[in-house]
Amino acid sequence: MLGFLPLSFGAPLILTALLALPVLWWLLRVTPPLPRRTLFPPLRLLRGLQDEEQTPAATPWWLLLLRLLAAALLILALADPLLGRPPQLTAPGPLVLVVDNGWTAAKDWNQRQELIADLLHSARGRAVAIIPTAGAAPTGLLNEGEAARIAKELKPMPWPGDRNAAAAALGRFKFTAAPALYWLSDGIENNSKPLRDALNRYDGALVYAPERLALGLLPVTRDASGFAVTALRAQPGAMQEAEVAAIGRRGETLAATRVRFARGETRARGHIALPMEVRNATARLAVTGEDSAGAVQLLDKGAAQRSAGIVSETSGEGQPLLSDVYYIERALSPYAEISKGTISALLDKNVSVLLLADVAQISGADQQRVKDFVAKGGMLIRFAGDRVTNGTDDLVPVVLRVGGRYLGSAMAWSAPQRLAPFSALSPFNGLEIPNEVTVSRQVLAEPSSEIDNRAWARLSDGTPLITARGEGQGWIVMFHITASPTWSSLPISGLYVDMLKRLMALSAGTPARDLAGLTSLPPVSVLDGFAQATAPGADVAPIPARQFSRTRVSPRHPPGLYGAHEVESALNTVAANDTLTPLQGTLQPYGDTQARALEPYLLAAAMALLLFDALLALWLRGFTPNKLRWIGGAAAFLLLMPQTVNQARADDATAMKAALDTRLAYVKTGLADVDATSEAGLTGLGFALRARTSYEPLEPIGVDPERDDLSFYPLLYWPMDPRAKSLSPRAQSKVADFMRQGGTILFDTRDLSLGAVRGASSPGEQTLRRITSGLDMPRLAPLPSDHVLTKAFYILRDFPGRWTGGRLWVENLPPAPQGNENKNGAPPARGGDGVSPVIIGGNDWAAAWAVDANGRFLSAPSPGGELQREMALRFGINLVIYALTGNYKTDVVHAPALLQRLGNERR
Amino acid sequence: MSNFSALQHEADGLSAGLPPLMVEADHLAASVSLGVHGRRRAGMGESFWQFRRYEHHDSAAAIDWRQSAKSQHIFVREREWEAAQTVWFWRDASANMAFGSGRVSKRQRADLLLLSLASLLVRGGERVGFVGMEGAPASSRLALTRIGRALFARGDSALPPRAPFARGNQLVWFSDFLDPAALEMMTDLSRRGMSGHLVRIVDPAEEDFPYNGRTRFESPVGENDEIFGRAERIRSAYRTRFTAHGERVSDAALKLGWTCTTHRTDHTPQGSLIALHAAIGGV
Repeated sequence: MLGFLPLSFGAPLILTALLALPVLWWLLRVTPPLPRRTLFPPLRLLRGLQDEEQTPAATPWWLLLLRLLAAALLILALADPLLGRPPQLTAPGPLVLVVDNGWTAAKDWNQRQELIADLLHSARGRAVAIIPTAGAAPTGLLNEGEAARIAKELKPMPWPGDRNAAAAALGRFKFTAAPALYWLSDGIENNSKPLRDALNRYDGALVYAPERLALGLLPVTRDASGFAVTALRAQPGAMQEAEVAAIGRRGETLAATRVRFARGETRARGHIALPMEVRNATARLAVTGEDSAGAVQLLDKGAAQRSAGIVSETSGEGQPLLSDVYYIERALSPYAEISKGTISALLDKNVSVLLLADVAQISGADQQRVKDFVAKGGMLIRFAGDRVTNGTDDLVPVVLRVGGRYLGSAMAWSAPQRLAPFSALSPFNGLEIPNEVTVSRQVLAEPSSEIDNRAWARLSDGTPLITARGEGQGWIVMFHITASPTWSSLPISGLYVDMLKRLMALSAGTPARDLAGLTSLPPVSVLDGFAQATAPGADVAPIPARQFSRTRVSPRHPPGLYGAHEVESALNTVAANDTLTPLQGTLQPYGDTQARALEPYLLAAAMALLLFDALLALWLRGFTPNKLRWIGGAAAFLLLMPQTVNQARADDATAMKAALDTRLAYVKTGLADVDATSEAGLTGLGFALRARTSYEPLEPIGVDPERDDLSFYPLLYWPMDPRAKSLSPRAQSKVADFMRQGGTILFDTRDLSLGAVRGASSPGEQTLRRITSGLDMPRLAPLPSDHVLTKAFYILRDFPGRWTGGRLWVENLPPAPQGNENKNGAPPARGGDGVSPVIIGGNDWAAAWAVDANGRFLSAPSPGGELQREMALRFGINLVIYALTGNYKTDVVHAPALLQRLGNERR
Repeated sequence: MSNFSALQHEADGLSAGLPPLMVEADHLAASVSLGVHGRRRAGMGESFWQFRRYEHHDSAAAIDWRQSAKSQHIFVREREWEAAQTVWFWRDASANMAFGSGRVSKRQRADLLLLSLASLLVRGGERVGFVGMEGAPASSRLALTRIGRALFARGDSALPPRAPFARGNQLVWFSDFLDPAALEMMTDLSRRGMSGHLVRIVDPAEEDFPYNGRTRFESPVGENDEIFGRAERIRSAYRTRFTAHGERVSDAALKLGWTCTTHRTDHTPQGSLIALHAAIGGV
């Protein structure tokens, strides 16, 4: 339409609206901008004043120009302008598009879409037929709108196209006028003869083909060090390079290699070297930058994955840091799939490595199963523990002595031992032994002749630490220490991880459950044409298990993972002996002949101008941006920024302070008086501890459970005050974790002063109930008279604070196991650490302990005076010792028995 | 019933500002009274003068029974001859006064000045009252409270209502005097023997006219609007007019023997208060 510009309009009639612009000019001129309104009392004084600008021409010329420009742009945009010429159709009849949309078409798919859009644009008003070769059914003759919609929905499919069907569909059409035929091919010769014949029945059919043809990836073979990959191309032309990447489950690239097609070759080989554990994490291999289902090889899932099963007799759910399972799990989780349960359940799951933590006896039927498991190539790894010291079954590498040996404990003479360098025979050979790894307790092997061959690790004095024995095709490995750091510091060193990793590599890796067990494999996830994993649709059919290896991808079976959860087989687009050949004949490249629609750009420009106009109008009405506000905002930002940084630094400093020394801590209630008393109280208690015990606390720390990390403190003093705020859910879980992981909280309801009024509804107890309502509180019981708290340092009968006479509540100890009672019938100390996570009382201890800066006591205990204060301090000392040492003091009861046992051993 | 409670609610809302205002006014008065220390405190407000023996012409109500019971004679309490002046206050209650371009409206500033001046005068023993308030003028804190209550009463009258003014009473009139009727009223009052002081409260925006661009000026009391395409163009003309208006008000006051003080709300109230107090003390 315009000779000098390749510009055309879809709706040129709308351009007549440009004639209305002068009218708009006049209208804009007579309409002044809206005035700013203001109240003004001396209005009378303004009467009659003349303002020479008060004329219809109040709108400045440049604003007028701006608005006219915006209006003109709007009109131009609506006229649907196109830059560049749309292709001229070859014939006057309906437009027929044959579109290749098999996997080979996925590369540069948007070129095709642009060409389709251009052709549809040129075919305005004509009927259109779209015949895809894969997936969607061919259409009949459509009108413009429908055709545009279908063209938009057209996508490449992950299977090869079926040109026979397309040819048949084309043959069914009867045209009244000569049709304009276009074949948008993928450039691959894939049974193109029938389609060519069908096209040749009409004149002037145009065939488009891409200049860069699709690449494929042949099935991957695993070898000792990684994956061997082979890429496939269609043109055996010049040298070409491509990149093949190993991609993990979350789409992360794990490794990549470049493969090179030699001149005249259609295949290129490469190798991706990967460590075993990364190999297990690989989900697929793909040619980089191809984005088609054929350039991707999915890997079977669960194939070589080493799965480990952990069995432990002690359940350390509550206190993870004391549990054996926790350390094994942390060490193994990157390298193996971990499951936990009983021995039989784990063997049912077909684990390849079985780890027994402190299991002394494998009972009855399980023993035979474990024997078979090892004989068939399984690996059994056992850890020592308290139970193992009392003798084990025979599934151990060496015979163990009953009892153990202590190194460097309070009742031993020798120092903790380091590890000796690994011998050349040991699979651990070459691992670096960190200096800080020491062993303070172990079980001992009975000396024998085989022990030299069976010891994989020794202490520096020569005692075997890790022993192993081959049994059938498998291994039995024994760690003579616990899996947790109770006996040695090995489990918290990197060496532990490396050792377990080596053991994993040593295990044969029992194959995953046989897929033949399933009669048919349902789809788990499938690939779309661009090789993105999607959920399978309803039209994807399961594959019978027996035919899986022979199944080729098709619309009913798109490429993807088939099978049960965690045992999935991959169905891939490209099979081992597939080849690609290029399409011959006169081919049209997908060029950049497309016309570009200018409408969106013009609309955007018009919108921008109108927005600018709105700002200008505001400015004309007197709304100038408030500079002060801008500067203030910027200044506030600059001021706040370093503060948040400082805040973070302060947090770090607090954490360092708390971590470097064991400190007493109280919970900040946010009430100045209560917090000051708590701080003064703990300071006073600190003085007493310093004077009388070997524990010398530094100044106490106030913590805010909402913000601070509680894990540094063994004991928290928590005064209750009705004014205190309730805890947020986050703080509640923090406090719960604190109690669960061995912390102790002394709740002080501080309300014994209320005398007769107190009771279940005293304000302190109501606050306690409110604050702890979301917490998982243990069952409480009044403090038994022989509780450790009564004898941890001083022998105490009652526990006065500022007031006296209240009852102290602690966690209810579980009833004594049968046959384990003392002669007195007293409940024995619990296993584990046995420290009650909560202690509740109301004697206002902090007030009794509180001292000022000069060490003078601040309050008068009532009614007992200084004697009562002394008792209060003694209670405080007992409490701190109890929280720090746990049930150590109850062990003293057993001292005679322990000494006797030690004597036996030495004899 | 609901009408009454609504009214009460509104009244509560209106007078909520009263106690802080009283406190602020007391502070202000205290800070100023240092400057006029000792001027009129001595003797003026002392009501008790002496006891004297009962005579026949005295009414029985004048007998001080407490004093008489102490001795054989009957005593009468004599009061001092009270020479205190009566100072009336009025503050323009129209919507024009509610205008404030800054933090303080003209009305708030007028109220503060009025109450602190009244407080100062009460300390000096003068009787103070607000035109239209309940009760008679008095020299006590009660009078201050009543004035405060009257300040927060509803009403939008620019001019003081008729009141039992006596000859020689003074009127302190806070307003912006934009209404020409105010000057007529002043002439009328002066004819009836009142003397007084005009306190012209001016907002800085009214004096400086800081407006730019296309602006529509609207009246708080519902007069016709004025629109100007470029408000800054009329600034100098307006300022001339405003100054002339101020001079007209003060000239009219001077002609009648009244005084006129102008107070800008962005200035501190202390200065104006000292000037006012001096003006009234000087009469």
